Amino acid sequence: MTDEALAAPAAPPAPPPSTVKPVNCPNCGGTVDIRVAGTTVSVVCSHCGSTLDATSPDLQVIAKADSALRRPQIALGKRGALRGTTWETVGYVERSDGEVEWAEYLLFNPYEGYAFLVDDGRRFSLGRLLDRLPASHWGIGLQQGGQTFTRFGDPYPVRVTFVVGEFYWRVAVGETVEETDYVTPGTMLACEDYAGERTWTRLDMLDWGEAEAAFGIANRRRNYDRPAPHEPSPFKPKLFEAWVIGIIAAVTLFVISGMAGSQQRIASTTTDAVLDGPEKTLVIKGVVLPPGRSRVEIDAEASSLDNSWVDLDYSLTDQKTQDSIDSYGTAEFYSGTDSDGAWSEGDRRPTTDFSSIPGGTYDLVVTLSAHKWNGAGSSSSTPVSDTSLMGGHGFADGGWGASPTGGVTVPVTVTVDRGGLFGGNIILGLLLILIWPIIVLFRHLGFEKRRKAVLSSGGDDDDDSWSDD
Amino acid sequence: MLRASCPNCGAPIAFRSADLPVKVCDYCHSAVLRTGGNLQAMGTVADVPDDVSPLQLGVRGRVGARSFELIGRVRWRYADGAWNEWLAYFDDGSTGWLGESMGRYMLLRQVDPAHVQSAVVDLMRGARAVPTGTQAMIDNVEYWASDVKRVSCVASEGELPFNSLGLSAMSVDLMSADEHCASIQKAGAEDVEVFAGQYVSLADIAATGLRAFEGWPMPAFKP
Repeated sequence: MTDEALAAPAAPPAPPPSTVKPVNCPNCGGTVDIRVAGTTVSVVCSHCGSTLDATSPDLQVIAKADSALRRPQIALGKRGALRGTTWETVGYVERSDGEVEWAEYLLFNPYEGYAFLVDDGRRFSLGRLLDRLPASHWGIGLQQGGQTFTRFGDPYPVRVTFVVGEFYWRVAVGETVEETDYVTPGTMLACEDYAGERTWTRLDMLDWGEAEAAFGIANRRRNYDRPAPHEPSPFKPKLFEAWVIGIIAAVTLFVISGMAGSQQRIASTTTDAVLDGPEKTLVIKGVVLPPGRSRVEIDAEASSLDNSWVDLDYSLTDQKTQDSIDSYGTAEFYSGTDSDGAWSEGDRRPTTDFSSIPGGTYDLVVTLSAHKWNGAGSSSSTPVSDTSLMGGHGFADGGWGASPTGGVTVPVTVTVDRGGLFGGNIILGLLLILIWPIIVLFRHLGFEKRRKAVLSSGGDDDDDSWSDD
Repeated sequence: MLRASCPNCGAPIAFRSADLPVKVCDYCHSAVLRTGGNLQAMGTVADVPDDVSPLQLGVRGRVGARSFELIGRVRWRYADGAWNEWLAYFDDGSTGWLGESMGRYMLLRQVDPAHVQSAVVDLMRGARAVPTGTQAMIDNVEYWASDVKRVSCVASEGELPFNSLGLSAMSVDLMSADEHCASIQKAGAEDVEVFAGQYVSLADIAATGLRAFEGWPMPAFKP
């Protein structure tokens, strides 16, 4: 006998056993695959929907059914790898809190035990039972795995509405547990109370397409209309990014405007205007402005004015196109004495701005006419016609020196500066820079509002249903 | 190690230590009780079911620096399911239990009931109902009763510290705020037995010699 055994050719090693054991449904006779023999307690036949007791040797029928069954999107028995672990779908439950419905797959791996794949219709979450109780965190939340969770709404009843496959507990349609959710972005702790027993499940939201790729189903379309309570805001990382970029851009704008804002002197010329004398024309040639738009500031200073004024007409003409832009200023100073005492008013140094002047080379033509003010206490009276008579064009260009009439001359210094951004431009730039961060902020706030919408609407609906009753 | 023959079928059987007086014969499934040098067949125990468990007799694991081997199994049943308790025989001759329930594992060691401060012990001694949530302090760890059920032994194999045939008991599972868990049992007229330990994964105990299953990659845990 021993010799025979030794002489016999070595038998090939037996292949490892399968975890799947086909049996026949005692109700409909269809083949039911038992995938976790020894641990499975309930089996719902995928052919007739009958609930079978897997703890009885002959698969006793607990609840007879002959209804056509819905098929889960991921077929039972399908295996897929999620985050490094292969899982097989062994059970499928649909549950409802009265308003929202979702599906849960029971997953099994012989070396890892069970997990849950929760499908809310948009996104999948992978759940594992906790083997320890979460710790209370300052009485306002829970601490688990180094994360802090805050309670999301009140406890609510969750009812089983459909079931197929096998489970390590007794399943039945209509079974209701009381659930309380605690959330942190990306993760939910679900506490289920049922018949004196409390279980804690940690649900980690999977990335878009992760579960679909693992189990070979079509990718879900991304949308954020109805976020899950533990869904992280997709706008939050963008929000941080947008604000960092926005602040850098704003600081850059200030630095650049600070540098560009330092004015650059282009020309400065002094001439004499004769009070009530002829008009004088001053030409400053070759005012070069850089490409883009610049501001041109013209300061006129007539510091010796006293009870007199100088009208200044400016004309900035593009040498190339001969387009001109006109503006004007008035340097003036008046003083006197009245019943209240001495008084004075006027600006001897008026500033005139040309904004947003395109780049190019310009000529600035300044036409000056100085006038004496014959106010109260002044005896002389110069007819206005004198001014117009004497203000001849013949005196333009090089009308330097004393007036032919020998009137009082007033030195006027005309200074041309360019650069210096208008405050308005900076504000406009800031607004443009901050448009994106503000849009992202509002999208994030909108997402968070929708995420928490069930909290407020749930209460309202409860009130409605009470009044309806 | 005491080597002998099964008093029922004559197959060779062995007893590792006096602390493990029961051996289920691998061939005829008789529970053989050793009393000193005497062997007595107590009856035939039910064969353990062919369940989808990665554990089997001979699996080795370790806790810290100490390693163990699984040498026996008792299968318990209650109204809503069943679970396995595997006897872990440590290298120093001590024993513990590796509980296997719903795909999860608990490594427990027996604790003197004197180390337990809890109403659970008195309630069980008085055969009274234990409410879930009842608190317990075991070796300075705080627990709460999470599950209370009547259990009975339905099958066993290998070497065991007691005769599991026809055994039934009240069992209270306890959970803690950390990884600790415990179980308090009372069978018939015996005093309460307390087991405390923690949840472990197969990776935590670096299990080797696991059962292979068709189509499932066998994990290689770092020893």
